[in-house]
Order: sequence, then structure tokens, then C-alpha cells
Amino acid sequence: MVTRLAPDARSLFASAEAEARAGRSSVVEAEHLLLAMAARPDTDAGRVLVSVGLTHDVVERALSQEFQASLAVAGVSVVAQDLGRPSPEPPRRLRLSASFKSAMERSVSAAKGSRQIRPAHLLLGLLGAHVGTVPRALHVAGVTQAELAALTEQALAD
Amino acid sequence: MPALEIDPSQGPAEGLAAVVALRRLADLMEDAEVERAMRTGWSWPQVAEALGVTRQAVHKKHAPRLIAAGVDLRRR
Repeated sequence: MVTRLAPDARSLFASAEAEARAGRSSVVEAEHLLLAMAARPDTDAGRVLVSVGLTHDVVERALSQEFQASLAVAGVSVVAQDLGRPSPEPPRRLRLSASFKSAMERSVSAAKGSRQIRPAHLLLGLLGAHVGTVPRALHVAGVTQAELAALTEQALAD
Repeated sequence: MPALEIDPSQGPAEGLAAVVALRRLADLMEDAEVERAMRTGWSWPQVAEALGVTRQAVHKKHAPRLIAAGVDLRRR
């Protein structure tokens, strides 16, 4: 990587992995990074998210609604409790999904010219996706992606 | 379940999102059901046959998680 990762951006990676494990996923997806950011209002990205009402709880609920709505497209409906609760993955490094990697690539571009990659750059990376789980969950939460991106740019400029 | 409107103007995005959700559902169910089977005494070959995959594949995918969860997997 050309630019250095800021310490709080680095710690978001670890949180994203913890979110993946908590969600019983064996891969770290873009939405796990979004959840991690929403739980960290002490970072620039977290502040932006919380300023539009995207707390960790709200993001989690939006993701769950997106999941149910997408299943409904195929005529499937599930009650979360009926799924059982598998044990989490052991604490080893989880694989990064393609959605996560694409977001990273966009973050690196967004941080071009900056001293380091800040959490807000990571958020811009996430917001660069036009389709997929994150954009759909943001839509469910009633947040306009372009507006959120503008707020993030502004936070970086401050 | 909260009613949620699906915007038909998005076209294939809806169908593709359904594929993603179904994969996630299948993964979650597989983890939960393999764990349930192994906790109730099934053997790896039985689970593999039920899933239609090789014993090696199912072992590689699930053994580390089940061992970490404290499931007794000896002599199976």
C-alpha cells in the first residue's frame, strides 16, 4: 500500500473481523466494516454515520431487513430464531470478501495525496459501491448515499 | 417481519441480491445443522453423505469451528 493506514483505521479492520465472527460469517464483507464504523463515533467515519442516525443498532437492523427483503424476492422467509445459532469461527484470520477488497481499493484512491488512510477514506470506499448489500441496507435505512458521501468528504476537509 | 417494498425498476439487482441472501442463508444453515448433527453423534462420513460432499471437504470446513466450540469429535 502506498499510503499508511491511520491507527484508528487499522483498528476498524480488527473490529470488522469481530463483526463478521459475531454475524457467523467466515468472510469479512463490506457490511462488517460499516457495522464496525457505526460502533466507533470516536472516529471521523463513525461521527458521519451517527450524524445521519446510523448507529450500530440501526445499521444492524437495516442489514437484517435487507436480508429478509432479498430472501423474499425468492419467496423465502425465515425467522432468525429458527436458524439455530452455530458456534462462531475460531479466532483465526478470516478471509476478506471481494466487496471488502473493492472498498479497500477505492479507499486507497480516495486517500491519494493524503498522509494516511483515515476511517473516512474507508467510508468513502464503502460508499463507492452502487449495488450490493451495503447500498441496499443504506437505502433501507433511508439514507441517501450521495448525501452521506458529501458529508464524508466534508469531514475529511475539516 | 417488517413489510418492505422492493423497487421493480432496479431489475436484476433484486434477483442478484436474492442470490446473495440465499447463499448467506445456506451458509448459516449449514453451520448450524452440521454442528447439530455432530453434537448428536453423527459421524463425518454421514454428514458428508447427507450434504453430498466429500468427508474431507466437510471436515476441513467445519472441524476447526466445532473443535473451538468444544464439540467432542474423537473417533468419528
